Amino acid sequence: MGMIPPAIFALYFLKLKRQPLEVPSTYLWHRVIEDLHVNSLWQRLRKSLLLFLQLLVVGLAILAVLRPGWQGEKLQGQQFIFLVDNSASMSATDAENGRSRISEAKERVAALVDQMESDMTAMIISFAEQPDVVQEFTNNRRQLRDALDRIEPSAAQTDLTGALRLADGFANPGRITIEEENAEYEVTEQQDIELFILSDGRFAGVKDFSLGNLQPMFLPIGSPKAANLAITALNTRQGEERPELLQAFVQVANFGSEARSVVVELYLNELLLDAAEVEVTAGGVASATFNLSREAEGELRAVIDPGKDYQDDLKLDNTAYAVLENRRDSRVLLVTPGNTSLEAALTTERAKRLAKMEKIAPAALEGNAYQRQSQTEYYDLIIFDQCAPETMPQANTLFIGALPPLDSWKKAVDSEVVLGPQIIDWDRNHPLLSLLELGGIQIADAIVVRPPLGGRELVDSTDGPLVAIVPRDHYEDVVIGFEIVGTNEAGERTYNTDWPRKHSFPGFWLNVLEHFSGGAEDSQLANRPEKMVELKLGPTEENVEVVLPDGSRQNVAVDATGRLSFPNTEQQGIYDIIVGGRLVKQFAVNLFDRSESDISLRLGQKGEDNLNRIESLEIGFVDVAAQPPQTEVRRELWKPLLLLALVVLVLEWYIYNRRVYI
Amino acid sequence: MVTRKIFRGRMKGERRSKRKGQSVEFADFRNYVAGDDLRQLDWNLYARLDKLILKLFLEEEDLHFYALVDASLSMDFGDPSKLEYAKQLAAALAFVGLIRADRVRIETLDQPVAQRNPVYRGRASAWRMLRQVEAIESRGGTKLATGVKNFCLRNPGRGIVVLISDLMDKEGYETALKYFLSHEMDCFVIQILSQAEIEPDVKGDLRLVDCEDQDEAEITVSAPLLRKYHQTLNAFCEGAQQFCAKRGMHYLLANNQMPVEELVAKHLRRRGLVR
Repeated sequence: MGMIPPAIFALYFLKLKRQPLEVPSTYLWHRVIEDLHVNSLWQRLRKSLLLFLQLLVVGLAILAVLRPGWQGEKLQGQQFIFLVDNSASMSATDAENGRSRISEAKERVAALVDQMESDMTAMIISFAEQPDVVQEFTNNRRQLRDALDRIEPSAAQTDLTGALRLADGFANPGRITIEEENAEYEVTEQQDIELFILSDGRFAGVKDFSLGNLQPMFLPIGSPKAANLAITALNTRQGEERPELLQAFVQVANFGSEARSVVVELYLNELLLDAAEVEVTAGGVASATFNLSREAEGELRAVIDPGKDYQDDLKLDNTAYAVLENRRDSRVLLVTPGNTSLEAALTTERAKRLAKMEKIAPAALEGNAYQRQSQTEYYDLIIFDQCAPETMPQANTLFIGALPPLDSWKKAVDSEVVLGPQIIDWDRNHPLLSLLELGGIQIADAIVVRPPLGGRELVDSTDGPLVAIVPRDHYEDVVIGFEIVGTNEAGERTYNTDWPRKHSFPGFWLNVLEHFSGGAEDSQLANRPEKMVELKLGPTEENVEVVLPDGSRQNVAVDATGRLSFPNTEQQGIYDIIVGGRLVKQFAVNLFDRSESDISLRLGQKGEDNLNRIESLEIGFVDVAAQPPQTEVRRELWKPLLLLALVVLVLEWYIYNRRVYI
Repeated sequence: MVTRKIFRGRMKGERRSKRKGQSVEFADFRNYVAGDDLRQLDWNLYARLDKLILKLFLEEEDLHFYALVDASLSMDFGDPSKLEYAKQLAAALAFVGLIRADRVRIETLDQPVAQRNPVYRGRASAWRMLRQVEAIESRGGTKLATGVKNFCLRNPGRGIVVLISDLMDKEGYETALKYFLSHEMDCFVIQILSQAEIEPDVKGDLRLVDCEDQDEAEITVSAPLLRKYHQTLNAFCEGAQQFCAKRGMHYLLANNQMPVEELVAKHLRRRGLVR
């Protein structure tokens, strides 16, 4: 092949075979040629231009045949699944040139997509809290790139399992179908699928997962040196020492390697309330407490300012939100002829914080005050001890040793009185009975409480259910079948049970107060991005809208029991619930996730070469080692070379044809 | 057909001659010597002066018109070929001459010295003249100089000579034209070029072969080459024109695409060859 250029060169020295043409006289031509010989250098140059071009064409062709290449990336395999992490920690801006990790991940995927050959197919799944198939299997690289652009960073936590299961569904379709004792094996050829996981690895390993045909590759994004300060908690509660004050509690965590003092600013309805400087040690946690007036209500926002000289790689968790609601005290009415142990249980320090208790005698049920208040939702809970009203009040109720004055209850319960029932089981999942141990309670006599349709038995005994809860409109009625303090045959007041002596007694009443006191703690619950938010709203006919932090509105439906489920909580911030044009409720969505905020890549053990390595991912029992950023594979250049040769050839042809005019 | 020179003719014609003779145009007086024709005596002068004085008149004579056609192989190119064009031109001019009772002789450059072509005179000879012109065929390359020299040897008399040629002689046209000068001929040089010579339509690598002497010239056609060719051609034609102008000859460049009638009626009339 090396002989071709010299051959071409030699051809130029051979005598040109010229076409003979008879002319009247060569007289003038000879004179022309003689003249041109004077400036023949130019002629030779012109000729050598063609020679040069031809040599160039052959040179390029030879170069192309030699298959020049360099170390580059190239995809191996036929099918690929790209798992792109778009969780909160991927918004960290510690990639090159201050770009975010997600954009680097997208770029890496785009680079991989560019390397795809036409017979390769790929799909893209983004995962945070929920996996999302951004693009199904295709070999259309433009589609893949477009899909890549659609991936947006989210503020959610990371859950690789869902994404893996989704990928598994595509990679390992039902391998075995069992048909009447005979196991039939799928005969389709299983192809290995390359699974690229682009993530910062800020999540626990995935257990109980078999990769099957998936060939995982972990491409870590981000740097192990990333520093981040984060608010990991924002709470409000009544002050322990000064109950008249509300306290806001901000927890700041430092995930960097240097101690840092941080200014924490607290805003209420965008007005700066207070600021405090806290010192956070490297890897440590510090907290600041702010006092708020009890009447404060509205949107609470805590912001940390690490100072200008601090490179905070994740800005997402520098702000936290909370909602302060008008903390109307829950009001509880206890209607009892006298029950010291119950009264004591309802007036503990803690119980006082939850609700304000009022006590009236059963005789007062006839009074105007009760009549009015019971019909206007004045009370959150009315406890009827050994008595029952004539009509059900507009409130949650709890009956002790009596039955609600409702037809459904009368039909359901035939007032069978049992003696000495033994509690054998109770519904531990119900909030009223959470964390309670009810075994070993002695009960002298009790009414068997068989709840009407829709009710739920809470405590079961040897003789039948003793405690039940039944929904009524948007209230709930609890019936405890046994009296705590009763009247014996002699008419003396005596204890019917030794329950007040047990630990579970005050616990039960605290549960009752917490459950019925209007969800005062609701808003304190940490709502995480992309997690379903469930709120108790009360049934309504009106249009219910949720205003997202960015101002967009979404219509939502409230179910029959007045519960609202809202799934679209991708954004951090405060969500307003608007019913019929009125702001009814607000809730805050915060990240509050230490593992997401701790954005630096985890370093594993030092490898053989004594270099720090990014810790591998653990999927099932497979360790997926982190891949270096560049997989070095030979990249070829012959295609562009050949194309260039073709272009030069066309140019040469053009010049040859046009040389009369050049 | 006009000549600026006054030649001596051979027979009575329609042109003034240097010779004194019979015509209406007075030329001179001279004394009578014995033997003079008494008819030419000026009787009026004799009556006045009592001397015998002859009254001389200018003689009107015929004119020698020669058409010298270059019938070399190189003339056989073009469409119509240059030779065809030259023959048409020669015939046209000769016919004009015949009409005006001039002595017309048509010769080619390549004919031997000894061969004398007939002289035509009078309108009646037109057919014979045309036949002779028609019979002219291109033959091997004759040197321009030799042909002209032979022509001059054959035709010592003076007159108008029209040389119709492409002047493409490797030894140059100058020597040839000088022969005419030495014979004091009134000389018209009509150079005929074919369109292919003026605008050569050639491409690629060529070996040009001269049709007369098989001489070869290798060229690679390119824009500069063609430009150079045009320059050379123009210089050649201009050179010929200047050469002729300096020596009192008439030069005319004709292109075979131009109709002969137009050439004769327009260009030659402007040049003063015909009136």
